[in-house]
Amino acid sequence: MISVKNLGFVYQGGKSAALDGINIEIADGDFVGITGTSGAGKTTFTFALSGIIPQKIKGDFYGAVTVDGVDTAVHPAEEFARKVGQVFQDIDSQMVASVVEDEILFGLENFGVPYEEIAKRVDRVLKDLGIEDLRDREIEGLSGGQKQKVAIASILALEPEVIVLDEPTGELDPESSREIFKILTDLNREKGITVIIVEQKIMLLCEYVKHMMVLDKGKIAFYGTPGDMASSIDTFKDLGINVPRVTELSASLISEKIYDGEVTLTVDEAEKMVRRILK
Amino acid sequence: MNLLNYVPGDSFLHKLNPVTKLLAAFLYGIAAIICGNVFAEVGLIILMILISATCGIAKRAILLTRNLFFLGLIMFVIQLFFVRDGEPLAVIGGFVLFTTGGLKSALLLSLRVIAAMLPLMLLFAITQMNDLCNALVKRLHLPYRYAFIVTTAFRFVPIFATEFHDIQDAQKARGVDFDTKNIFRKIGLVAPLCVPLLVSSLKKVDVSAMSAEMRGFELRGYKSGYKEYPFGVRDLVTVAVLVALIAITALWGA
Repeated sequence: MISVKNLGFVYQGGKSAALDGINIEIADGDFVGITGTSGAGKTTFTFALSGIIPQKIKGDFYGAVTVDGVDTAVHPAEEFARKVGQVFQDIDSQMVASVVEDEILFGLENFGVPYEEIAKRVDRVLKDLGIEDLRDREIEGLSGGQKQKVAIASILALEPEVIVLDEPTGELDPESSREIFKILTDLNREKGITVIIVEQKIMLLCEYVKHMMVLDKGKIAFYGTPGDMASSIDTFKDLGINVPRVTELSASLISEKIYDGEVTLTVDEAEKMVRRILK
Repeated sequence: MNLLNYVPGDSFLHKLNPVTKLLAAFLYGIAAIICGNVFAEVGLIILMILISATCGIAKRAILLTRNLFFLGLIMFVIQLFFVRDGEPLAVIGGFVLFTTGGLKSALLLSLRVIAAMLPLMLLFAITQMNDLCNALVKRLHLPYRYAFIVTTAFRFVPIFATEFHDIQDAQKARGVDFDTKNIFRKIGLVAPLCVPLLVSSLKKVDVSAMSAEMRGFELRGYKSGYKEYPFGVRDLVTVAVLVALIAITALWGA
């Protein structure tokens, strides 16, 4: 379980707090989507979960973040990676090798995973992400989606309990973005890995995540299931975040007493709703 | 085409231990340096191109030779005017422009530069940078830190190139015309781009360092590498052949 208590952070030389009084508990096996306008503190929050803040990036740190009771501010961040894996926003610069296999090997070698175990894990993560055919390819020649899968694979090989991703679909086309979410959902469901993802594409979040968090100026502006969004549509509008049109539609149909079901989060659900109303 | 990119292959030289490849390139360079005969030097260059052909990189070798030729030309000009022994060869108004000794040593030195550098540059065509560094760490216990610096530097070249083009495109979109023939004007236009390039590069390097650290970079020792780089008979043969080459050039080519 991840427990965040009164988390605050001010970057060195920063004028205002990047994070301010964050309180949240994330259960094991949860799938949390984080969204918010730029500068809302999304990246900073992910850094706090993996211990990069305050260990690698200096600043004023308040509160406490613990993962299974281990304090991220105290436990050495480089070892912590085996518990909380971090996929960075910049796809290209987070790579450390030029060939896919070497990239996945890097962490395994460093943490001294036994020789026989390494081969098994490399095979497994390549299979899990469906990139067996990329094994000997140069990373430079891969597409954005493929690179992102390699980045996720290299973290997954360390078998973390939590994987934190910062806008992994930022540079991807809709098709590949959806694919990344599907992979993460499978990992979450089948291996029970807790997934925490920063994402701007709200449609994708609504469709795949279990909980949504909206950050605004370093504070939590909304936290709940995607279904809870319906009652906070005005909050979202104030923050400049687009709620999926199907959700907005169903919410207004419900408030107008035309429809008496649940709010819809996907186009498929909306289609069913419209058909029911028309009957 | 990037002249330092890896070209995958399955040849005898491809299969050598990366450490042997590096040593072989150095030994070939030594042969070129001790060689004191213009024809033997040309022979070494041709031999190197022929060796490249066995790894399917003959075209690359010829292109590299051509590029190195310009470097050789600079060395040639410098030597030509600064080495003054032998008979005067070109005299203008009583002033000896250059001599036979100058011409001979200029020719030799420029060819020597090409012959010595060619194998080192071709090394990258048949060796993955990662393999070379991992092998150096594993077999020669080179500190991983240094190996990482070298691989990272190589890896970032294309990334920075892309970044540079992006910045240049952004400038073009605002009406800056980079297509000028005047070299000074071109430098003047490109120079200001160095600041944004430097800033974004530093950011990228920062992420790279953080990503490496978060995956246990600090914990790595020379034993950490997963891949083994054993020496085999072919490595022994290669080194023996190159030692013989040095002996031959020392005996007959000096």
